[in-house]
Amino acid sequence: MMSTQFPWLTALILFPLVASLPIPLLPNKYGKTIRWYSLSAGLVEFSLMIYAFWKHFDLQNSSYQLVEDYNWIPQIGLHWSLAVDGLSMPLVLLSGLVTTLAILASWQIKDKPRLFYVLMLVMYSAQIGVFTAQDALLFFFMWELELVPVYLLIANWGGQRRMYAATKFILYTAAGSVFILVAALAMAFYGDNVTFNLTELGLKDYSLTFELLMYGALLVAFGMKLPIFPLHTWLPDAHSEAPAPVSMVLAGVLLKMAGYALIRFNIEMLPNAHAYFAPVLAVLGVVNIIYASLTAFAQNNLKRRMAYSSIAHMGFVLIGIAAFTDLGMSGALLQMVSHGLIAAALFFLSGVTYERTHTLMMDKLGGMAKQMPTTFALFTAGSMASLALPGMSGFVGELTIFLGFSSSDAYSPAFKAAIVLLAAVGVILSPIYLLSMLRTVFYGTESKELAGVTLLDAKPREAFIALCLLVPIIGIGVYPKLATQTYDAKTVAVASQARQVLPMVAQQPWLDLQVPFSAPMILGTETKDLATVGK
Amino acid sequence: MESLYAYTWLIPVLPLVGAMILGLGLISSSSFAKQFRKPSSVFIVSLIGTAMVLSFALLWSQIQGHPTYERSIEWASAGDFHLSMGYVVDHLTALMLVIVTTVAFLVMIYTDGYMAHDPGYVRFYAYLSLFSSSMLGLVISPNLVQIYIFWELVGMCSYLLIGFWYDRKAAADACQKAFVTNRVGDFGLLLGMLGLYWATGSFEFEVIGDRLQELVQSGALSGAIVALFAVLVFLGPVAKSAQFPLHVWLPDAMEGPTPISALIHAATMVAAGVFLIARMFPVFENIPVAMDVIAYTGAVTAFLGASIAITQNDIKKGLAYSTMSQLGYMVMGMGVGAYTAGLFHLMTHAYFKAMLFLGSGSVIHGMEGVVGHDPVLAQDMRLMGGLRKYMPITATTFLIGTLAISGIPPLAGFWSKDEILGATFKANPALWVIGFLTAGITAFYMFRMYFSTFEGEFRGTNAEIKRKLKNEQLQKLGLAFGPGAMNPLELTAEHPAQDHDAHDEHHASEPHESPLTMTLPLVLLAIPSMLVGLVGTPFKNYFEEFIHAPGEVIHEAEVVDWGEFLTMGGSSVGIGLIGITLAVMMYLQKKIDPAAIADKIQPFYQLSLNKWYIDDIYNAVFVQGSRRLARQVLEVDVRIVDGIVNLTGFVTLVTGEALKYLENGRVQFYALIVFGAVLGLVLVSGIT
Repeated sequence: MMSTQFPWLTALILFPLVASLPIPLLPNKYGKTIRWYSLSAGLVEFSLMIYAFWKHFDLQNSSYQLVEDYNWIPQIGLHWSLAVDGLSMPLVLLSGLVTTLAILASWQIKDKPRLFYVLMLVMYSAQIGVFTAQDALLFFFMWELELVPVYLLIANWGGQRRMYAATKFILYTAAGSVFILVAALAMAFYGDNVTFNLTELGLKDYSLTFELLMYGALLVAFGMKLPIFPLHTWLPDAHSEAPAPVSMVLAGVLLKMAGYALIRFNIEMLPNAHAYFAPVLAVLGVVNIIYASLTAFAQNNLKRRMAYSSIAHMGFVLIGIAAFTDLGMSGALLQMVSHGLIAAALFFLSGVTYERTHTLMMDKLGGMAKQMPTTFALFTAGSMASLALPGMSGFVGELTIFLGFSSSDAYSPAFKAAIVLLAAVGVILSPIYLLSMLRTVFYGTESKELAGVTLLDAKPREAFIALCLLVPIIGIGVYPKLATQTYDAKTVAVASQARQVLPMVAQQPWLDLQVPFSAPMILGTETKDLATVGK
Repeated sequence: MESLYAYTWLIPVLPLVGAMILGLGLISSSSFAKQFRKPSSVFIVSLIGTAMVLSFALLWSQIQGHPTYERSIEWASAGDFHLSMGYVVDHLTALMLVIVTTVAFLVMIYTDGYMAHDPGYVRFYAYLSLFSSSMLGLVISPNLVQIYIFWELVGMCSYLLIGFWYDRKAAADACQKAFVTNRVGDFGLLLGMLGLYWATGSFEFEVIGDRLQELVQSGALSGAIVALFAVLVFLGPVAKSAQFPLHVWLPDAMEGPTPISALIHAATMVAAGVFLIARMFPVFENIPVAMDVIAYTGAVTAFLGASIAITQNDIKKGLAYSTMSQLGYMVMGMGVGAYTAGLFHLMTHAYFKAMLFLGSGSVIHGMEGVVGHDPVLAQDMRLMGGLRKYMPITATTFLIGTLAISGIPPLAGFWSKDEILGATFKANPALWVIGFLTAGITAFYMFRMYFSTFEGEFRGTNAEIKRKLKNEQLQKLGLAFGPGAMNPLELTAEHPAQDHDAHDEHHASEPHESPLTMTLPLVLLAIPSMLVGLVGTPFKNYFEEFIHAPGEVIHEAEVVDWGEFLTMGGSSVGIGLIGITLAVMMYLQKKIDPAAIADKIQPFYQLSLNKWYIDDIYNAVFVQGSRRLARQVLEVDVRIVDGIVNLTGFVTLVTGEALKYLENGRVQFYALIVFGAVLGLVLVSGIT
């Protein structure tokens, strides 16, 4: 099943890896050559990506595109099998943008720059590998490949407790990987034919118990990465210790790998189990939102506060996934893309602050707006995006998830009302922790520690990075179809697939998890959508 | 004419473009952008001027009887779901466009004088323009989602503008308080919106109203749930229009520069709540419970605001409580079904309150020449007095505003307030009593304000009062921080640094009249404050012909009931005059000593002075409560959730050390576990 065209995805995965090879040999004149080299590698990769999708990706098509399949290691059945669809394409673009900007944000790395940039580029490759892999083993391989650079980056360039954070990160995710591997193998060997191909795995007819078991295992694995309460405690440590560029990628892309995998594995391949687990996901989503918002509010460390805010935002993704509606699924993906951009911007800006003040403790910061007005403005914009201000992408994501969940016909009205109500509490909590952060850090008079210290405002390079992230945030917020039309066909397909099993599940007399219910409709009047009413 | 409607989108977009250009300039090179002070302001003012001309053209066309015009594009979609955004031009939109653009235009001219010496001059214009754009977007919204979007955007602009002087601690606290309080309201609005969408499948006001009624009549939906949704939606206006119990942000919002107090926190944004109730009228009017909630909330707020305004010494705080009280009138009017009257009061109030605020700004501007740039001194009426001599234009326009708000005919406030009170009397006499008493209090506190500011002797050079005020502030801060949290001396030492021109020790001994850019808007606003009420007299109510509830039929030849008009109008003028007389005796002729009265009714005096202790209760319950809760949750997170993780890690480490002697290689061991697990799983699933 070879396509005749150029193997774009293979090229996309291999290019950063290959580009990283000569770095150890390059002369590093004034410490500038390597960073410019890496940046251009990132830029070339990002442009290749845009070109490949622009030319060869059909937005109306919900099936896999740019398909490639090579027999890699036949002995163990490993295929080099790649493809993208509406689910992965936006995330590939997101990782391209965020990682390239993270390289540009690493200008201040003076210690072992060669290793640093090699690791960044390896991470780049692995991210794209995760999002495009169509073979369960290849997926696992890429997932693991991603972990190593992150571990090394935190362990080498992190803050004071970097070893603790890095070890915690690697142990957590390695434990999660075991679950992925076990599930992948079990699913591959289930039934008559042995296969690792994701599509074929999805077509297998598993018994319900097996599906539920697999779903549970994968949920634990991806729940560690997403992260879902109570598996989240590595994230604040990793973020508070990681250097800013790594935090950008960590929050911007790595967390989305888990959300993506949840949809790809749990929903697409195990739809029957999803029908049972969905209410659990919704409840976990709400717990994420409220629990993490509250802990974020109590944090004194700037980056820990934002790490917890990431957890809260990923809670919305869970609710969207659990909605069984086009809107919910679309909102979940939009929320992932949007949080990727927003979190990257906020972590970058906190890095900008840290470079000047050398502390992340908010009680030691204060009144910085006077000396750093541009940083203040960008930070405000980022926080506004994060608290889901309309006109920015976060709002569209959350609104679609709210609409998607409340219009879902899979749950009883009482359950829906409870979930929506509690999730909406997050709408009140997010400005509390974000604005109080702005108030402590930027407003008021300068803190004792900063009195008399000269702080340079954001340099043009730094303002540029923040703007590169804010422009798409605002673009999507002003006209969401910019983003949604790239994956609409796919999310509709996923949602309808998930919905198909609902009647079957509801018929099971021994499991009364859901009470199918439809919103009251007026007899004879079809609910017209706004587009037709408006005209 | 059609092309005018096709280009209506320019009205909000023009100021947006201006704000974007200025904003980008400031971010990319702030020192460069700051050189263009005058060009930026002229640019922004001309953009809003263009928007104003367009709005007047639309209003004229609507008066001529042009049908409602609607245009929309698909904004978001997912599968079968489509959401469109666009604009609708009907009578209400046209009226609101004119109100917003005229006030914004005049406030922007005024800003040039008021902010002339401020380093943030260009940034202020960028924010003002962004706000105008959001507010204009709000009033042209054809559906609930779009209203929600701009609703939050005006809230954000309000946040930015309240915190404009970011180095002031009070401003920093106030802007956060405003945003969070408004978010509480938006939380209700969001839930209500989702609920209505769930029930009716639409975001359009009329469609929601019709379908809800059908659903309730057919019994598919219980009336209680519908009422719940309506009340949730109403939470939005409660926060935005500063209604009890979410009113606490508005007085604090006065920390922002005065032009925005006039534009946002008096004339336009706070009135958005009333506007939303008007838009949602087709939904609300069929739900008696919701209408009652709205009416009572409005009445309580009207009284609460007025009762606090009596004892305020800060001129802006006094006006803020007065705004809250007047908004209460509008909401009450809406709640008793007086759609036209509520919106009529919105219009008249927008003009006279904007003028009053700008007047107070002019006073503060004059006072700053004497006492320096310290809000504690420059805004306190105890340091003012006799300013009429120095600032005749400001004094005259302020007097006109005071008369208008006190409901003295034929000024604007009389007609609109009288219409609300008349409608309330018919609907619910108990509410009328509250509104009637409030009218008297309003006249009293407004004249108290006028007399203590403009009449009598000038007290601005009295060093003793100044010292007293500073001490009061220190005490307040001390209370807020808790005893011993901060050495009061530190504050005084810090104080000169806060002054914008601390170097300028040579303050004038007399205040001066403000420059032309400030007095001109005052004079221009005085005209509608006097005359705009005449479009809505009971004799020939042009206003009602133009603005009336959707579906309501206006009886053309309604005979004026002179008896009713005279009793209602006469009684409200009467109580107004009583209030004024009291104020004259207490603050002009000094025949009655206010302090003596305060001593006699000490509990009431303290209740009013401390704003009914609502802020303190909220602080203790919500602010401290949420902090405590957050700390406890974090404690759980660190000690229990993470504790288990670390414990597991520790245990594995120990057992790992032990295992080291048992195993030959870790990889094999790892593989063994994986293999065992897979085997187990396959076995388990094979059995079932």
